[in-house]
Amino acid sequence: MIQIEKLKKSFRTEEVETLALNNVNLKVETGEFVAIMGPSGCGKSTLLNIIGMLDNPNEGYYHFDGQEVGGLKENQRTKIRKGNLGFVFQSFNLIDELTVFENVELPLIYLNVKKSEREQKVRQVLERMKIAHREKHFPQQLSGGQQQRVAIARAVVTNPKLILADEPTGNLDSKNGIEVMNLLTELNQEGTTIVMVTHSDRDSHYAHRVINLFDGQIVTESQNRAIGVQL
Amino acid sequence: MYTLYFKIAIRYLLKNKLYSVINILGLSIGVASFILIMVYVNYERSYDSFDGSEDVYRVYMDYKQGDTFVPGDAQTYNLTGPTIKNKFPEVLEQVRLYKFDEVVFTYNNKIFKEKDGALADPSYFDIFKYPLLKGDLNSVLQEPNTIVLTQNLATKLFRDENPIGKDIVAFSAGNEVLLRVTGIMNNVPKTTHMKTNFLISYATIHTWDTFGNYYREPNWNQNHFFTYFKVDKNTNIDALKSKIIAWDFQGNFRERHNIESLEDIHLYSNKPYEAEVNGSAVRVKFLTAIAIVILVLAWLNYINLSTTKSLERTKEVGIRKVAGAQRAQLGIQSVIESMILNFGAILLAICISIFVLSIYNKATGSELALTVETIKQLSPVIAIVILAILLVSLYPAWVLSSYSPSKALKGKIRASANGLHIRKGLIITQFLATIVLVMSTIVITKQINHLQNQPLGTSLNNIIAFSGELLTKKDAVLEKKYEVMKNEIMKLPYVTHVVTSNTFPGDGFGNLSSSVGITYPDGTQDDHNVNYSYEVNNPEYFEMMDMKFVAGSTFLPNHKEKNQQVVINEKMAQMIGISNPKEGVGKKIKFWNEEWNITGIVKNYHHFGLKASVIPIIIRYSKVDNYMLVKFDTTITSASGYTQAITQIENVWKQTFPESTFDYTFVDKQFDAQYDDDRQFNKVFRAFTILAICIAALGLFGLTSYTCVQRKKEIGIRKVNGASIFKILKLLNIDFIKWIGIAFVIAIPIAWYAMNSWLENFAVKTTISWWIFVLAGIVTLVITLLTVSWKSFVAASGNPVNVLRDE
Repeated sequence: MIQIEKLKKSFRTEEVETLALNNVNLKVETGEFVAIMGPSGCGKSTLLNIIGMLDNPNEGYYHFDGQEVGGLKENQRTKIRKGNLGFVFQSFNLIDELTVFENVELPLIYLNVKKSEREQKVRQVLERMKIAHREKHFPQQLSGGQQQRVAIARAVVTNPKLILADEPTGNLDSKNGIEVMNLLTELNQEGTTIVMVTHSDRDSHYAHRVINLFDGQIVTESQNRAIGVQL
Repeated sequence: MYTLYFKIAIRYLLKNKLYSVINILGLSIGVASFILIMVYVNYERSYDSFDGSEDVYRVYMDYKQGDTFVPGDAQTYNLTGPTIKNKFPEVLEQVRLYKFDEVVFTYNNKIFKEKDGALADPSYFDIFKYPLLKGDLNSVLQEPNTIVLTQNLATKLFRDENPIGKDIVAFSAGNEVLLRVTGIMNNVPKTTHMKTNFLISYATIHTWDTFGNYYREPNWNQNHFFTYFKVDKNTNIDALKSKIIAWDFQGNFRERHNIESLEDIHLYSNKPYEAEVNGSAVRVKFLTAIAIVILVLAWLNYINLSTTKSLERTKEVGIRKVAGAQRAQLGIQSVIESMILNFGAILLAICISIFVLSIYNKATGSELALTVETIKQLSPVIAIVILAILLVSLYPAWVLSSYSPSKALKGKIRASANGLHIRKGLIITQFLATIVLVMSTIVITKQINHLQNQPLGTSLNNIIAFSGELLTKKDAVLEKKYEVMKNEIMKLPYVTHVVTSNTFPGDGFGNLSSSVGITYPDGTQDDHNVNYSYEVNNPEYFEMMDMKFVAGSTFLPNHKEKNQQVVINEKMAQMIGISNPKEGVGKKIKFWNEEWNITGIVKNYHHFGLKASVIPIIIRYSKVDNYMLVKFDTTITSASGYTQAITQIENVWKQTFPESTFDYTFVDKQFDAQYDDDRQFNKVFRAFTILAICIAALGLFGLTSYTCVQRKKEIGIRKVNGASIFKILKLLNIDFIKWIGIAFVIAIPIAWYAMNSWLENFAVKTTISWWIFVLAGIVTLVITLLTVSWKSFVAASGNPVNVLRDE
């Protein structure tokens, strides 16, 4: 599904140029659950942003589902993102002015899904995430774990091929963290590809494969045998 | 999708109350000011507009002043209209109006004093398309001794009776006539320079003794008639105007006819002998300018606040982009939000405007209104405003939708250099507008004060003037009665002078004669310069009015040529070649085919307001009693004292003329009333300047609030590293001071130019001193610093740990 070759990304301020990714090669197959780990500033999130087409690389190739997407403009990238990709963030990133229901509904609106169909899909996914009873609440009225469940609901409501999770348990206590990881595992078992950035060793054990980044380069790759470890 | 946009917008506005209140309040004050001014401007511009009014013109007289012609008289000869109609085929119809100062009607033993009426040719309704409600359009004003009343006047006189065919007695300048009502016309709108309550047929001029032969006979001597004509739609007006200007009537080279559009009279004509004091195009232009400035200020605020505030919404933009929103969709959402805010503000502004108009109308008796008709007339302006709202909404939308999603989600968006430049530009423009308005307000106030404090060359205090229709009656019995009355009044306590005259300073042009053609004492014949004259019956007049003689003295009652005596002012003396006033006394001048002895020369005085320069004046000694002027001594100090004294005069009046009414006016107040329009303009200008400053201050307040929020980390770090509150305040405020400096430099020439052109309207001008600019700069600086320091002080004095912990 994802094929990245010789990928480079640097950030430039007026005087300093920082190399965030240096010659990264990565392949992710459909149905895989990949965890990206590494110390702060190693380029994990930058890599995830590029995979999620939120940013473009400076050099190298990025094929998504067989299509080169590395050099696309923002509007073209948006078109590909729509319905194909779902995002889960550490800080949940829900819109404060929208209710739970409306937050989850958002990607369907941009996909021009009919209203009746939208309602059905949103209700379904809220039920599944066990948050349906809170559909009229606003994000601030929810606990962190509930907010992240809403965020996951929003990420999966379009039934995307790929979910990108950026430290999804970073702001949660261990109980809620486990719940979230179980949800992601469930989704992966149903066929959704997942790429997750994490600091947590525990969370990385849920993945099939762990990639370690250091100073913008992949330094090690390891396979996990026991998947979905419940700690 | 759009429902969602609306939902988000409303929730966002409710959540960010300060932002919403500042924005909606600023915008609605701006829009309400704009609406109010535009309603007034529209009212002023709607004068004399009716079906076909664009083809109607008024004829007026130009007088030769030196080598050029200047507008000299709004009124023309009784031959002017008919001759123009015969001579120029483009002219389809003409009408002559002789405007009465006042006519007294009696019906069923009731007396009605009515102003705003005229003698009119039968062609009146052919030109002024006011609907005739009763009567035959083709014949109403044909016969002598017929009258057409407006509906209001008809109701007042006849109540429920049918007025058609009824006879009423009309009384003017001491003569009465019986008139038959032949028509009822719709009430004439207030928006006309020729207010009309009744029209008497022109043919009545021959049957009513009020009019002497010099009115009745067709002639080129007496110009007391307003003349209007209607042209064919395809007429080349410029060509017709040139022909009329070049037309040599009666070989008269001292004056010429000229024409002007009927619709332009109210705003653009300010000639001697107008039917009423007209409006002023300059005032309308200034008010329009301030309306636009206020609206633009409100929008600049809006753009500034919403783009600054949009930095807080980067996360939301990021999420939407991640959720699949295209840039255009984000843009549309932002535009919808702007529209909701703008139209919400407009709705509020409309409510404010209707409320303010109702109060204003009640207080001033005006009929300004925000009606469907007004909205229709203003539709081009409304279209421009809506287009502008769209434009105003586009910039924040463009800024908001341009954020990169990955940066937006991390909150790494900072204002771009371009954005900062634009914002700086907007703030400087705001300061610029504010400073120009403050400067202008100071100049206008200074000018009004200057006018009020100028020496007039005469003292009008403690004098009342009154006239009655009986006072002017030429009747030996009444004349005797009048003499008795005068003596009785003179005997009253407090009364120092009693004088009669046919006009007085501040009475306007109405009763003042103007003429061209005079022979100087040295025999020079002058056919170029206009002089003005009026008549006074008593030598005490000059003492009463405190007019100082530079040479000679007042009229001598025992002079052998008693009625050929004149007193002139210095300006007149100068005009007729008298360089040493003392030598002028006793010299003779000749005009109107008569010789006049100069008995005295008085210092120049302002017969009109100080807007006009001093005119050359001749005061003739003559038996005249249009007005009785009574001066009180200075021992009366209270309003009740005046009331008491005036009641005593009224009692004498009632004893002498029991059947007549007594109306008086204080001469100084009447003179002062000439500046009412300017004073009102000053008030309005000041009020809107204050509003403009409020809008700008609101915007600055909002902007500082957000700058402080954005820079809170920087402030915290600086404080941790030892910066004092003063240093932080300086850091936050120094930009504003710089911007005011830039705006100040640009404002000076703009304000100077604007005020210089406004002052052109006055003969007596105040100086635009340097301190005005400095004061305006300081006022703006103080207001700005007070506004921004409130928020920046809170930011600077906060505990740095709080903000740094947040980070």
